[in-house]
Amino acid sequence: MTTTRRSVLAGAALATTFALSPAFAQVPTEIELFFPVPVDGQLARDMAALLKEFNEKNPSIKATPVYTGSYDETLIKTRAAMKAGKPPAAVIMSANFLLDLKIEGEIQPMDALIKADGKTNDQFMGQFFDALHGNAVLDRQVYGVPFHNSTPLLYVNTDHLKEAGLDPEKLPANWEELVATAKKLTRRDGDRVTRWGMMMPSNYDYGGWILQAFTHSNGGQWFNVDYGGEVYYDTPSMLGALTFWSDLVSKHKVHPAGVQAGGAVSSAFLSGQASMMLLSTGSLTHIRNNAKFPYKVAFVPKNVKNEVPIGGASLVIPTGVEGERRKAAWTLINWMTSPEKSGWWSRATGYFAPNKAAYDTAEMKAFLEKNPDAGIAVSQLAFAKPWFATYKTVPVRKAIEDELAAVLSGKKQPKEALAAAQKQADEIMRPYVEQTALKLPTN
Amino acid sequence: MSQAGGHQASTGVATGEISPKLGYAATLLIAALWMVPFLWMLVAAFNPQSIGAGMASLVPSYLPTLANFREAWVSADFPRYGLNTTIISLGILAVQIVTITLAGYAFARLEFPGRTLCFYLFLLQLMLAPVVLIVPNLTTIAKLGLYDTLLGVMAPYFASAFGTFLMRQAFRAIPRELEDAALIDGANVWQRIGFIYLPLAKPSLVAFSIVSVTAHWNEFLWPLMVINSPDLRPLTVGLASFTRGAEGAQAWGVIAAGTLLVSAPLLIAFALFQRAFVNSFVSSGIK
Repeated sequence: MTTTRRSVLAGAALATTFALSPAFAQVPTEIELFFPVPVDGQLARDMAALLKEFNEKNPSIKATPVYTGSYDETLIKTRAAMKAGKPPAAVIMSANFLLDLKIEGEIQPMDALIKADGKTNDQFMGQFFDALHGNAVLDRQVYGVPFHNSTPLLYVNTDHLKEAGLDPEKLPANWEELVATAKKLTRRDGDRVTRWGMMMPSNYDYGGWILQAFTHSNGGQWFNVDYGGEVYYDTPSMLGALTFWSDLVSKHKVHPAGVQAGGAVSSAFLSGQASMMLLSTGSLTHIRNNAKFPYKVAFVPKNVKNEVPIGGASLVIPTGVEGERRKAAWTLINWMTSPEKSGWWSRATGYFAPNKAAYDTAEMKAFLEKNPDAGIAVSQLAFAKPWFATYKTVPVRKAIEDELAAVLSGKKQPKEALAAAQKQADEIMRPYVEQTALKLPTN
Repeated sequence: MSQAGGHQASTGVATGEISPKLGYAATLLIAALWMVPFLWMLVAAFNPQSIGAGMASLVPSYLPTLANFREAWVSADFPRYGLNTTIISLGILAVQIVTITLAGYAFARLEFPGRTLCFYLFLLQLMLAPVVLIVPNLTTIAKLGLYDTLLGVMAPYFASAFGTFLMRQAFRAIPRELEDAALIDGANVWQRIGFIYLPLAKPSLVAFSIVSVTAHWNEFLWPLMVINSPDLRPLTVGLASFTRGAEGAQAWGVIAAGTLLVSAPLLIAFALFQRAFVNSFVSSGIK
C-alpha cells in the first residue's frame, strides 16, 4: 500500500514538473498526410486505423489522414495547397511524379534527416528493393521513401485453360505463346465475341504503364533514366510493343477494341468474360477475394527479355515543411515504412512491401505459404526497372496515351501514332531541355 | 384497329406535324433512355452478387439484399457528410439569394455610369473554367484563414454571375409601373424589392435555387481542395474515398448503393416538390 501511495505521489510530482516545464507542456505537433485511395474503399478505413495507431504510440504528434482522390488529384491538391502556403507535412505520391516535383523544387531531399539518424543514404535505401531506388533517389539525394509498389502481372483463369484443352500449369511466357493461348481462349458466336482471350487496361495512367511493360519486354527503354528531358517513343522497340498490342485487337481479334478502363478489365476477368489480363499486382488481393474460379499469375510475357516497370507510390515531404513538423513527418514516414506496417499494408492491398525485411516477418512467411501468387509478384521485382518519369510526366504520358487510344480504336497506324506522340512529347519537354541539355556557353 | 392507327399516322405526316401519340411515344423513348443508368443503379444496389455475369443485367434475377447498403453505410460517415453537404449547399444558396437579388435589382433598375460595362464584366465570369481558379481561390481562402473550413468551401460561390443575370432579366420583365405605384405609396427601396420584385420573380428564384443546390451538392474537386479534416468532408468526397480505386477493381453493388445514398435526399426533395419545380422552370424559361 505504501509503495502504491509513494508512486502515486511521485507520479503527481512528476506530473507537476511536466506541467510547469514549458518543454513538456507543449501541444502535440499537428501534421497531415495526403493519401490517394489506390485499391478499394476498405483501404480508406485501413489508413485511418493506421494513423490512429500511430497517434496513440506517438503522443507528441497528431497526424490526420486526408483523402485526396486519385493520384493525379493528389498532385493537384498538393500543388494548390503549397501555393496557398499550406503544404501538407507528408504525401503519398505516385512514384513517377517525384522527378517533376524535384525539378519544380516542390519536394525536399531527406538526406539531412537520414544523416541525423546516423545513416548514410545507401544504408537507408538499402532496406528497400533495388528496383525502387530509381524513382526515389534523384541526383544521389533521397526524395521519396517507397510505401507501396507494384509491377504488372499476367492473370490467367485456369478453368478456361482446361476447357480449351491447355495445360493449366503452363502459362504463356512469351508473346508467341500469349497469342496462341489467347486465340484458343477467345470464344466466338458467329462474328460476336462472347469471351475475350486477353484484356489490358488502356485508360489514362494505366495505358502508359502497360505499354511501358511491353516496351521493356521488347528490350526498349521508354525514357532516359538519367535525364528528364528525353523519351524514346519513336523507336523500334516501342513500335514492336505498340504493334503487338494493336495486333491483338485487329489482327488476332483476341482483345476488345477501344479504351478499356482498369476496373472494366478486372470486372470482365472476374465475371469470366475475359480469360487472361494484364493488371497491377496491386489488384491481387481484390482478385483473390472475388474470383470464384481457380486462377494463376505469371510474369509479363517477353519478346526479347523479362523486364517490367515498377508502379505504386512513395512518401514525400513538400518544400516549406520545416522544424517540428518536418521531424514529425519523418517519424511518421519511418513508422509507415517499417517492416511490420509495410507487410501489413501489403497483405491488405496486394501491393508488395517495399521494405525487404517485411518478408522476414513470421506473418509474411505464413501469408506467402498460403498465397503463393503473392510470391510471384515479388520475384518479378528482380526484373523491374524504374517507372517513366520526366519533366511534366503527366502531359508527356498523355501524349502517348492519346495515340494509344487512337491505335486501339483502329483510327491510326502504330508507326504514325508514335511519331506524333514523340513530336508532342518533345514539344512539352522543350522548355526544360533548353534550360538544361541545350543550354550552352555562349562565349 | 391497325388500319385506324395507320390512317392517323399518315395524316400526321401529311400535315408535317407530329401527332400527339407519336410525340408521346418519342418522349417515352427519351425518358426510357435517360432512365437506363438510373434503373441499373437501382438493380445493382440490391444485387447480392457484386461481380459476375448477372451484374450487367437490368432485370433483377436475385433476392434483393441490403448488404451493399450496409457496406456502403459503414464505409463512410454518411450522416456527418450529409450534414456538411447540406450546410454547404443551403449556406451558399442563402447568401446567393441576397447577393443576386440586390445585384440583379441594381443592374435592372438603378441608373449609374458604367452599368452596362459592369454587367458585361460580370457575365465574363461565366466564361472562366472553374479549374483555372483553384489556385488563386485557394490562396485567398488561406489568407482569410478559411482553409479547411466549410465556409472556405462556400465563400467563392457567394456571388453568382448566372444568378445575377437571371434575376436582372426577371426584374426587367416586371412592369416599372408597379414599382412606381409602390413609390407613390411611400415604399422605400427594400420594401419595393421585398414586396414587388421578389414575389413576382419567384419562378426565377426557385429555378436558380434548384440549379445552385444541385451543382453544389454534386461538387467534388473544390471541396477536395479546401477540406483536410475527415469530419468536414462532403458526401461526394466521402463517396469517392471508397468507390474510386486507381488500380483496383470496382465493387459495383457497393458503388451503386453508395451513390443512391448520396443522391437520395435530392431525389426525394425533387419528387416532393416536383409540381412547383416544373412550373417555375416553365415560367422562367430554363430547361
